[in-house]
Amino acid sequence: MIRAENLTKRFGEITAVDGLTFEIPVGQIVGFLGPNGAGKTTTMRLLTAYLPADDGRAVVMDLDVAEHPLAVRRRLGYLPENNPLHENLEVTDALHFIGRLRGLTDETARTARVKAVVKTCGLGSVVGRRTGELSKGFRQRLGLAQAIIHDPDVLVLDEPTSGLDPNQVLEVRDLIRELKKEKTLLLSTHILSEVQAVCDRVIILNGGRIAADGTPDELSGSLQNKNRLHLSLKGPAEGIRQALQGLPGVAAVSGPSGSGEADGRFVVESEASVDLREEVFRLAAARGWPVLHLSLERLSLEEVFRKLTASSEGAP
Amino acid sequence: MTTDKPPLVQVHAVLALAQREFKGYFESPAAYVAIIVFYLMSGYLFTATLFLSNMATISGLAETMPLIMTFLVPALTMGLLSEELKSGTFETLATLPLEDWDIALGKFLGFAGVHLLTVAGLLFYPALLRLLAAPGAGMDWGETFGILAGLGLMGLMFGAIGLFASALSRSQVVSFVIAFLFCFIFFMAGNLARFSPEFMASLLEFIGVDAHLNTLAKGVVDSRDLLYFASITFGFLYLTVQRLQARRL
Repeated sequence: MIRAENLTKRFGEITAVDGLTFEIPVGQIVGFLGPNGAGKTTTMRLLTAYLPADDGRAVVMDLDVAEHPLAVRRRLGYLPENNPLHENLEVTDALHFIGRLRGLTDETARTARVKAVVKTCGLGSVVGRRTGELSKGFRQRLGLAQAIIHDPDVLVLDEPTSGLDPNQVLEVRDLIRELKKEKTLLLSTHILSEVQAVCDRVIILNGGRIAADGTPDELSGSLQNKNRLHLSLKGPAEGIRQALQGLPGVAAVSGPSGSGEADGRFVVESEASVDLREEVFRLAAARGWPVLHLSLERLSLEEVFRKLTASSEGAP
Repeated sequence: MTTDKPPLVQVHAVLALAQREFKGYFESPAAYVAIIVFYLMSGYLFTATLFLSNMATISGLAETMPLIMTFLVPALTMGLLSEELKSGTFETLATLPLEDWDIALGKFLGFAGVHLLTVAGLLFYPALLRLLAAPGAGMDWGETFGILAGLGLMGLMFGAIGLFASALSRSQVVSFVIAFLFCFIFFMAGNLARFSPEFMASLLEFIGVDAHLNTLAKGVVDSRDLLYFASITFGFLYLTVQRLQARRL
């Protein structure tokens, strides 16, 4: 569980995080989305007690971050931005090192945990290699393995897939999906497809504030004031057009006109609250016009993102 | 898992950090170079005293080694925190359940291990003397251990200074220069005392390492000298922690 209440952080004149309020329940995986400089990393640093908040408070697993920073860090795994690793350490040595610092003092138990995370994170093939010799994908896995060595309840991952090639991205995403089963997970990214691929919920940040908060579907739906139905029916174009216009809630129909037979493509606009798909199907069935194509247009997350964060375009 | 206030220092974490740092020294060429220079210089000083003045003593070390250590110790400490700050691993450390004291102490002890081992290695010279000296013509062991203890304590003090300097900058070179300047000031203060007006002389003498080292080098253990080394060492460790905390703001 992660909760932010009016969380605020200023760096001199700049307010990097501006009164954020949100709650992430246990078992949910939330994506922080936003342009660079939106406050994603700073928020994560506040949640992990790396930086103190100027205002408001952060709560992790019912513990106030400012009052119990060490207790919070014990229950939290964190992958910082750019995945910093101690160089020149053998892979399992690196895991043992972090494990010891985390208080896994019993060697047998620690070795068991190291083996477990090596397996979970698919590091088996690089055991014996040093951190400096690892490819970027394996470095990322090692960073994740370090973050979960103590089996934390909460995981905070700052851009876990940045800089990876598409195959590695998929692998790390699978890994994250695997981890999410029992944990509360917050990850940041500026890759939109990533959010759609792994997150239950998206929080879009812009200028240190929440610009939108919801499931990827909700977000693409909420910003539309019109629904657009793309369809293609086989039949007399003019007849189809008129029949469509006659449906309740239809605002406009565009498409071919004329009397010829065609498999015309039409676009039917309606109020956002109206879903015409069933109506159109019944109409087509009743008239005997085969439906070749029927789809409801939604704003892609990309468009939502651009709409919400357009004001900060050109920011570094 | 749920205990809230940790003890003053978390021994397990301090030891883990110290061990890592200690091992790290033997994986880096810089540390080897520093240690080799240390033994080359001390070897030269020892043999020069032995053959030029025909004295069975390591007192030559006490005079010149402090100057050499003003740059050798910073060479060992410059990377302790700079490197973590530069590579970003400091954020990893600082978001583990550790206090800044744990981090500072762990790093310091890692250095201290290497430093004290290196100084202990100087025992080779008196051991050699004892082996070669005519029976009965023993050497002054009080003086010998006094010098080694003095160099050990002074190195720890320089190390704490170096650790602080290392917390100031992401650049190892900058950290080195800052540490060297501080150490050099402590080294020079005593020498300047001779040329200073009376009221400043005693102050400079107290600040400088020379006077304290010389008492120890005579084989005299004075609590004031021990207090001098301990308080400056602790003082710079304290400043290091303050600096680490300020970094988080």
